[in-house]
Amino acid sequence: MRSVETEPPPPQPSPRHRRRSGLFIGAVILLQFAVPLTYLTREDTADDRFTWRTFSAPSEPICEPSASLETFDGQREELALEKLIHRDWIDYVSRNRRAVVDAFLKKQCETKNVLEVELTNRCGDERGVHEYRLRCGGERSYEATRTAAR
Amino acid sequence: MRPLTRYWFGDIALARPYLLVRFVLTVLAFDCWLNLVPHGAKYGIGGFNVAHFPIFGDFVPGASFYLGVLAFTSVLALSQAVYRPHRIALALVAIGYTLGWTCSLLDSVPYHYLVSLYLGCFVFFPMLSARAAFSRSDSAPRGSAWAYVLFCVTTAIVYFYVAAWSAADGEPYWLPMACSGAYLVASMQDRSDRTAARIGMPFLGLGPIAFHLLTPTESWFPVYMIGIAGVVFAPTRSIHTAGRALTSPARNWLRDHSEAGIDERASRMFYLSLVGLVAAPAVSMLVDLPGVKTGCALSAIAMLFVIGRQLYLTPKRRPLWRVASLFGACLALFLTITTSTARFDYYRTGAVDADLRGDHEAAAEMLEKAERYRR
Repeated sequence: MRSVETEPPPPQPSPRHRRRSGLFIGAVILLQFAVPLTYLTREDTADDRFTWRTFSAPSEPICEPSASLETFDGQREELALEKLIHRDWIDYVSRNRRAVVDAFLKKQCETKNVLEVELTNRCGDERGVHEYRLRCGGERSYEATRTAAR
Repeated sequence: MRPLTRYWFGDIALARPYLLVRFVLTVLAFDCWLNLVPHGAKYGIGGFNVAHFPIFGDFVPGASFYLGVLAFTSVLALSQAVYRPHRIALALVAIGYTLGWTCSLLDSVPYHYLVSLYLGCFVFFPMLSARAAFSRSDSAPRGSAWAYVLFCVTTAIVYFYVAAWSAADGEPYWLPMACSGAYLVASMQDRSDRTAARIGMPFLGLGPIAFHLLTPTESWFPVYMIGIAGVVFAPTRSIHTAGRALTSPARNWLRDHSEAGIDERASRMFYLSLVGLVAAPAVSMLVDLPGVKTGCALSAIAMLFVIGRQLYLTPKRRPLWRVASLFGACLALFLTITTSTARFDYYRTGAVDADLRGDHEAAAEMLEKAERYRR
């Protein structure tokens, strides 16, 4: 009768299983080494996801964002960011996180009769002023930076 | 055996993967309830979202979606921690947890990505019962577990990059580099014949513990990493003794009958299990958070899928224990949410955000609930 007290440990993997597992392990290790290195090629240096650069929230001082839109009849209207999106998104925007800035501008373009949306980040340090402008219907926003030195 | 093959497929004390899975899944469940649920109200505000990956397109996860995913993941995770894990259930936990953070940049906590990698490793861990890992008192059972070695190497890579970026920024890097080295050799301690290596290896665990104690962070990341270091670096004898003590009730009470086949009792068990599966998520109806009911119901459906297969393939009492573990996890969710400030924080932050947006009606509604659940 089989004892209820003991169970055998899992069997040793067969050579075929080892080969298959070896390939999987190799691929995973390679990926884990490669992903953090992609940071070196990222256009947006504020985006340090999956790099293990930090384990806590970014401590970089945030900039002062403001946004406005221009309608087809030539009127310019200021946007109250805190009424449109959650403050966590505003933090992203104020850190010049490009993916969020682009998504925000595109979202505002969905409003009827909007010709162009503009977002300005005023950073009180060497980063200067970042201006993002999206002509509605366009794919990617245009970025202009004015540093404090200029 | 060649050195590389020996490194990946050599024996390790089975107590380590056994305790590691249970520890991480348990912490994950409580981390979800106490640290993630309170932030759920910010999801979906203004119909705006940016996901971590373009695969999500224009999908905007709302609060109920996010909390539902959290409830599904955490309940399933805890049920797997308290009773023998199942590979399919672990895969669902990994998918659910990863979906939870990838769907929005609102969750950009770096260690959530690491936890997803760990959960991916767990899917390939040996699915051990308490008896398989701790039945013998004289010596610790050993076996091959390449996924456990992958887990250690994954951790080593993380510390390596922490050290590398620190070095690049001109900051001290020796401690994370030492942690990286320690995790690379950690899996070899159970198979080393050298007494010095067996005695010295546990001291390497002090590196990760010191690193996380010296690096202040508001999240539960140090809890995960210090606990993991404890399991990975503890001396074989100590981890076996601790595991035996912890699993003593499981090994003595949960004795399955090993006769196989389909009989009348099996079908009675099946229907009893079905009743249990309906009753378990009903507990979550008392939680009063959007999406939690759906999440718990989905975890019950996942469990049904798991035990439905087991009923015919494994000893017959196992499904009942699985249902009991699910019920226990739903009850733990209910007790944790109702006795902590998680629910109050959810409604309070939701009210503040709604007020800021000028949605005073929603703010008043959420404030009323926050007052009701104030602790």
